[in-house]
Amino acid sequence: MTAEVAKYTLEQAEALELSPGTEHLKLEGWVPELAGDEDLRQALEKAFDYRGDVTLTLKTGERVEAYIFNRQTGPTLAESFLQYFTPTAPDKRKISYAEIARLEFTGKDRAAGKHWEDWVKNYNEKKAAGEKNIALVPDKLE
Amino acid sequence: MAIPISQMWSVATLVWKNKLKGNKHYPLVLMLEPLFRCNLACAGCGKVQYPPHILKKQLTPAECFAAVEECGAPMVSLPGGEPLLHPQIVEIVEGLVARKKYVYLCTNALELKRRLPEFTPSKYLTFSVHLDGQREHHDFSVCREGGYDIAVEGIKEAVKRGFRVTTNATFFDGADPNGIRGFFDEVMDMGVEGIVLSPGYSYDKAPDQTHFMGRARVRRLFRAALSNRKANWKFNMSPLFLEFLMGDRKYECTPWGSPAYNIFGWQRPCYLLQDGYAESYKELIETTKWEEYGVASGNPKCQNCMVSCGYEPTAVSDGFASIKGFLAMVRANFSKYPDPQALKMLNESAPRSAATLVKIAAPERSLEETNA
Repeated sequence: MTAEVAKYTLEQAEALELSPGTEHLKLEGWVPELAGDEDLRQALEKAFDYRGDVTLTLKTGERVEAYIFNRQTGPTLAESFLQYFTPTAPDKRKISYAEIARLEFTGKDRAAGKHWEDWVKNYNEKKAAGEKNIALVPDKLE
Repeated sequence: MAIPISQMWSVATLVWKNKLKGNKHYPLVLMLEPLFRCNLACAGCGKVQYPPHILKKQLTPAECFAAVEECGAPMVSLPGGEPLLHPQIVEIVEGLVARKKYVYLCTNALELKRRLPEFTPSKYLTFSVHLDGQREHHDFSVCREGGYDIAVEGIKEAVKRGFRVTTNATFFDGADPNGIRGFFDEVMDMGVEGIVLSPGYSYDKAPDQTHFMGRARVRRLFRAALSNRKANWKFNMSPLFLEFLMGDRKYECTPWGSPAYNIFGWQRPCYLLQDGYAESYKELIETTKWEEYGVASGNPKCQNCMVSCGYEPTAVSDGFASIKGFLAMVRANFSKYPDPQALKMLNESAPRSAATLVKIAAPERSLEETNA
């Protein structure tokens, strides 16, 4: 249960009418300040939850564009690692937290602006304009 | 119950064998996601929000077969993404059927009618067609006008060709219990084998985060919709799971009952929640901190979940692991669940447009409590 804070009692959970859902932070374009180990851990946890690519700058100076799909944290940065895919390589990659110098949320947030209310508004506007076969379409695989 | 006896026998023997061995962590259904690409863009879906390079990736048939053999579950569900977009989906399905796995190919059916000639009917293959309700509700739910009509055409053609077909519905906040009951009538008239249903789960990665029902509302909705059943309604699910949704049973989640495998690996801890990945099934089972998940753990990410992939394995194990559970399952198959209070809830629930998504009004306290 990494990075969780509030816990629910069973009674609270059973009585819930609506799920509060997850509040999505606007992370696209963000470059976190990494002053210490804890800053890096917290920023990488956000990168793990992010629905787009990020760019990692390694201590060697190499820059890696990555979709982070896994992380495993240990007692030290050297014992903690990320797993990711890059846009160009077919295989999974792995890197230690200790090798990372900088993190940038460079890729597009793939769910931003696609709320239910956006769809309802979009639908009602198109319907009023007399359009037919109204639909949201998946993003192009550019 | 609409599930063939041979399939029930496979599941029952798996439960008995593991009970005899004292093995707690065993899989009933492998959730095998061959790709995340989809031809719909539903706002409530948390499965397709990835960059293009991830959406272009897919499991090979060999990777699919290796996962199936490693895990050993008797049933394999093929969700996604849209599995019919996978260029080798026919080879994958044929390989799973050859291994005598009961395959549920989950599809939105936009491509089903066109692709059906490539598949061969078998007791091991079921097309599980995503239909979230009657025409207006489904089209609005999947954010595509006309989606319902295309899916129904696919269903009818599949039934005509002799395939096993179920419908698979997810209900979000605003679903009308009367509309759900009308939907059950419609799909049974299409000739499907049975209905599969589940409340929506609040996926972290889903664009929309405000229309997921909490557990109290889920119980009320399903108590209204599933009580006072009509004789022709058939459900391709454990009847004890349906009783859980109606508030008649209290169950804990069995996340390892439906392990999930996709391009990232074995997903921790379950099909819905992405809290990391393991390289092997063995690693998933042995290293996942299971006590940190499920509603009793207090984990906020599990607090609204009453979804079939976590709770149906609990219900199935309950039904086959004891005489008491088995008798409850037999009894449930013959019950129509008469319930005057549920009828009152139906009468009080005004029909609404899918577009307005009016919240279900909170009924009086006496109508909302569980019977468990």
